[in-house]
Amino acid sequence: MERAVPHAVPLGQMEVFQALQRLHMTIFSQSVSPCGKFLAAGNNYGQIAIFSLSAALSSEAKEESKKPVVTFQAHDGPVYSMVSTDRHLLSAGDGEVKAWLWAEILKKGCKELWRRQPPYRTSLEVPEINALLLVPKENSLILAGGDCQLHTMDLETGAFTRALRGHTDYIHCLALRERSPEVLSGGEDGAVRLWDLRTAKEVQTIEVYKHEECSRPHNGRWIGCLATDSDWMVCGGGPALTLWHLRSSTPTTIFPMRAPQKHVTFYQDLILSAGQGRCVNQWQLSGELKAQVPGSSPGLLSLSLNQQPAAPECKVLTAAGNSCRVDVFTNLGYRAFSLSF
Amino acid sequence: MYTTALYSQYQRMLSTLSQCEFSMGKTLLVYDMNLREMENYEKIYKEIECSIAGAHEKIAECKKQILQAKRIRKNRQEYDALAKVIQHHPDRHETLKELESLGKELEHLSHIKESVEDKLELRRKQFHVLLSTIHELQQTLENDEKLSEVEEAQESTMETDPKP
Repeated sequence: MERAVPHAVPLGQMEVFQALQRLHMTIFSQSVSPCGKFLAAGNNYGQIAIFSLSAALSSEAKEESKKPVVTFQAHDGPVYSMVSTDRHLLSAGDGEVKAWLWAEILKKGCKELWRRQPPYRTSLEVPEINALLLVPKENSLILAGGDCQLHTMDLETGAFTRALRGHTDYIHCLALRERSPEVLSGGEDGAVRLWDLRTAKEVQTIEVYKHEECSRPHNGRWIGCLATDSDWMVCGGGPALTLWHLRSSTPTTIFPMRAPQKHVTFYQDLILSAGQGRCVNQWQLSGELKAQVPGSSPGLLSLSLNQQPAAPECKVLTAAGNSCRVDVFTNLGYRAFSLSF
Repeated sequence: MYTTALYSQYQRMLSTLSQCEFSMGKTLLVYDMNLREMENYEKIYKEIECSIAGAHEKIAECKKQILQAKRIRKNRQEYDALAKVIQHHPDRHETLKELESLGKELEHLSHIKESVEDKLELRRKQFHVLLSTIHELQQTLENDEKLSEVEEAQESTMETDPKP
């Protein structure tokens, strides 16, 4: 009459749900804390997880140190972009930008400090925010996304000061040109536009798909990633990953990568890029591929270099994309381990 | 009999004593040796510490040099990239020369055009003069014919009239 107790305990609903969630997770954005010891990662369910880099990198790291210290539901939609100021973590996704205090974020039940929504033209559809950029000189934040405009928000007052219009389709990525305070934006319409922040006007437009050397019509004309180094700019996406000289608007080097790249950054004398392939690619400015380091996700969407001076021992490159794992590269040559949601 | 036992005991005591002295001497020597070894080790330890510190500094220096070298390499590569683009465009001198020669040809051709146009104008005017003179001549001839017709008509009427 007694039922035999099965040896394998069947997975409860909760565990099955969590496993499914992890299987289908995409991590869109990462951000390093101002002290350099923590990494925040935002995923497509709207959750943000905080990982402790110093614990994971220390010599007595165990399996639990590779799990987040705390995970909380930040947004209703995916968290597409995050940046950190010296006290706050700003995250944006479904049309709103929210701020969290780094000092409080590790406590359970953390509430956002404030949330703002830029003035959209139509109130019917709330466009998503794809990219955030901090402009330290004027202490402001630039948001860009689905409504094809760049909005500037002053961080002290929270007021939206400018709306830069010019793109004809949604904006994917932003970059800041330090010397002259200019912002570069790249979008689905295939153009990289440079905006002068002081006059709020478009100063230069580079239509990447019109140049034969780098355009790849079968991929489309969208610009997925941008990075700039004052005189030079590298952009990629539908067209091939190319290095441009900004003053003369000429493409100088084309990097022979077939897969569209989703994130690119300058690092010392190299250009690091990641995209549809599994690897983080390291290029020299001459166009040679210096190294290709495979990661654990089938596609990568964001790279983050922890160069905070306060924590030189946590100086690592982290890469995340179409999986629930964040790969940590301590030395650019190989993947040391992965943190997981 | 009595004395030999005592003597042997005495000998034994002496030998034990001397053994004790010997082993004590040995231990003292070993102790000295250990002390000196300790000093030696301390010295070596300090030397190694100094060389470790020196190596650390050299590593920091080398790291700075590597950063500097990477910066230089980056600048060189940027220069190369721009130089490649510039090379694609033709040399400035040649283009200037071509521009000059083209300019001269253009001038020459415009001179020729002007002279041809002048000639054309001249010919046109001459034809105009010719044609107008022909017209006048025609007119005069017609007038003359008319006059002579009228005169003839008058003569014939005068001839018929004066015969009453």
